[in-house]
Amino acid sequence: MGRAFLIGILAAIVAAGSTFADSPSVTAVLSNSEIVVGETVELQIKVTGPGDAQPPEEISVDGLEIHATGQSRQFEIHNFATSSSVTYNYTILPLRDGRFTIPSQTVRAGGKLLRTPELILNVADAPGRSSSARPSRGTQSQSVSAGDLLFAELIVPKKVAYVGEIVPVQIRMGFDPRVRPRLIEPPEITGQGFTAQKLQQSGQTSETINGRPYDVVTYKTAIAAARAGKFEVGPVKAKAQVIVPRRRSAPRSRSPFGFDLDDPFSDPFFSNPFAQMGERREVEIKSEPVALEVKPLPPNAPPSFSGAIGNFVMTTDAQPKSVQVGDPITVTSAISGRGNFDRVNAPVVEDERGWHKYPPSSKFKQDDEVGISGTKTFETVLSPNEKKQTLPVLALSYFDPAKEQYMTLRSEPIAITVQGGAAATQNVTGSQPPSPSPAIAIAPQRTQKPQDILYQLTDRPATAESFAPLYTRTVFWTAQLIPFLALIGFAGWKIRGARIDNREARRIAALHHEASELMHKLRHDAASPREYYAEASRIVRVKTALASGSSGIDPNVVDAETAADTFKLNTDSRDQLRRLFEQSDEWQYSGAHNGPATISPENRREVVELIENLK
Amino acid sequence: MKIRASLIAFLFCALATPSVLAQADAEFAKATQEYAQGHFKEAISGYEALIRSGQWSANVFYDLGNAYFRTGDLGRAILNYERALALERHHPEATANLQIARDEARALEILPSWPERYLQFASVNQYSIAAATAFWLAIFAVVTLIFSRRRSVTVIAMLICCLLVFAAAVGAIFTFDRGSKGRALAIVTGKDVQARLATADTANSVLALPAGSEVKILSTRGDWIYAALPNNLRGWIPAKNAERVRLL
Repeated sequence: MGRAFLIGILAAIVAAGSTFADSPSVTAVLSNSEIVVGETVELQIKVTGPGDAQPPEEISVDGLEIHATGQSRQFEIHNFATSSSVTYNYTILPLRDGRFTIPSQTVRAGGKLLRTPELILNVADAPGRSSSARPSRGTQSQSVSAGDLLFAELIVPKKVAYVGEIVPVQIRMGFDPRVRPRLIEPPEITGQGFTAQKLQQSGQTSETINGRPYDVVTYKTAIAAARAGKFEVGPVKAKAQVIVPRRRSAPRSRSPFGFDLDDPFSDPFFSNPFAQMGERREVEIKSEPVALEVKPLPPNAPPSFSGAIGNFVMTTDAQPKSVQVGDPITVTSAISGRGNFDRVNAPVVEDERGWHKYPPSSKFKQDDEVGISGTKTFETVLSPNEKKQTLPVLALSYFDPAKEQYMTLRSEPIAITVQGGAAATQNVTGSQPPSPSPAIAIAPQRTQKPQDILYQLTDRPATAESFAPLYTRTVFWTAQLIPFLALIGFAGWKIRGARIDNREARRIAALHHEASELMHKLRHDAASPREYYAEASRIVRVKTALASGSSGIDPNVVDAETAADTFKLNTDSRDQLRRLFEQSDEWQYSGAHNGPATISPENRREVVELIENLK
Repeated sequence: MKIRASLIAFLFCALATPSVLAQADAEFAKATQEYAQGHFKEAISGYEALIRSGQWSANVFYDLGNAYFRTGDLGRAILNYERALALERHHPEATANLQIARDEARALEILPSWPERYLQFASVNQYSIAAATAFWLAIFAVVTLIFSRRRSVTVIAMLICCLLVFAAAVGAIFTFDRGSKGRALAIVTGKDVQARLATADTANSVLALPAGSEVKILSTRGDWIYAALPNNLRGWIPAKNAERVRLL
């Protein structure tokens, strides 16, 4: 009861406060009055006081694109006096540079017509702007997030370089870890007048910059100026997808009247990512460009200078050291140091007289990510045309940017032994008066006269030959028809043989089966004499046909003599067989009543024994 | 009507062929005579005309190589000796003169791989015949095994041997075709030719190629060919400075 009373008193006080609040007022402010073309700025019109307000529906200024983006309402209590305010937000996108005046706007609030002050917006045209250097305060949510949540930095340690000199470059890209960035376009150094090597990612660290944590990815590369002059290296550009808070229907107050505009981390999204879903946006990241002065190389370069700039050392070795005239000696020159190794060519032979030099091969082993430092090894094959005691001196010239002068590296003379052929040039010249100039030194003579080629051939084959391999020619594949046809014939012959074998096998199997059936009947059935002798003679015929083998006798044409001859029977058995056939014929052709109705067991046994002995 | 036309065409060819051969013989004799008289450029023209007409033979290429050698064009001399050897592996004169020309030009050679070295006792054509023979014998053995009542050990052994020979022959053909003397072999005919890293005259040099050096053409882009070089590197060479050994 007491609590209800208290609430009622407070409500009365609030109502009274509202009643006695100030009359409506309006003000307008730009989040930034100095911007560049392409950036957006936020215009906020704040109406304080009771009642509804009607903001301007459209604000048109030539050269500016102005869109309403939403409104927010605030309530404040000061010393029991309440006030409410509504802030109307507009986004301004300048279409060109210049000084723009946003005219006074009329706002109807609490039955009154209020006017906003005039606002001045200065828009500059600055192509080198960067999101990191200029965090876009108070602009769109995306811009705010991109400006403060990620940055790019281009580090060029040298401000002055020579044409062709390799300058190491470092790119640092920082991301707030909470935006979960994903690079969709790797960083690229823009600019003209120089060449850049491929970017190499060299590491990732976590750093705190201005009190904010960043994941910093470092890339390394190297650039080389192509001509003299003053250049701007960069800016570095990259594109990334980041997760930023989703824009709300009633935008969070970013005005000077409300929350901290500079701190995008104050967004509830970051304090509680599940409070509202973020959205993935594509942002471009840029760094500031860096000025680089490029000086030309000094004149009077040594003859062996091939464009190498840096600081190098050279070691030389040769194998083998004892050879015959004309044998190859492999000279290995290792150039180590730091510089533009792509312009480091093989050391030149200072005095090639008496030597034949073959084209060198090279391989490079880099010691860092971008190939500025390392060792380039050349293998040059030298062949002595005459006796020699040392290898010729190899020379390599380069420009040292630190000393600002050309340097020439020379190999130490390597002692070798060359056998065979003519005397060494040095020995020949040594026996003569010393020559004042190397130009008149005696040239080495070839030790062997070139061999002449063989004679001309005067006969020519009648048919033209072909470079095409045999297996690509039509005649080769046509010739395969011969074995193919032979194969078909062979297979047909085999198939026919198999069929014949199969038919014979079936016939023999049928005869075996018939013989075994009849034999079983003879032993067990009490058949009439007519049937008995007929079956007995049939068994003899079948057995004879089976015994005849490959001659293939038809069982129906076998008689007693044929069977006896086939089984090579003795006289007694032959007689028995004849009697068997005679009795079979008698029973078959003379009728069933000319003899006994049954056969005695002795006769049966004799017949069975006779048949079983037919093997 | 068609039969009559075919018969006439056949008779025409039969009659024309001897005259074409006789003309080729005459051109060859004339070119050889020019060479003997020291007119090497005329001899080259004669031999080239013969080759353009398709009358390819090892001896013609060999003689043409000799003529180029006499004019000092060692690159083309080596190219034609190589062509003679591509047509006839055992051509002693071409082998000897090729060695002389190479020594003179200090031409670089592509070293054959170890399989090539082991397999070079026979030619691609011989391997082709061996592969075909082994293939058909294997097929006959399979048919025999299918239709025989019992599996003969001899036939099975023969089948395995034939399959091994077939596989080895096909492998040898493939090795030779892709190898140092395969169809991609080309000879550098220009002088002071540089193999470069890119298709530009200003690109860095990979290797200086004396005339007569061997390269293997990997691909062609415009007026440039991408080639495997004798030092196992690769580089771009102007197409006009190299010619394939095998004419197709």
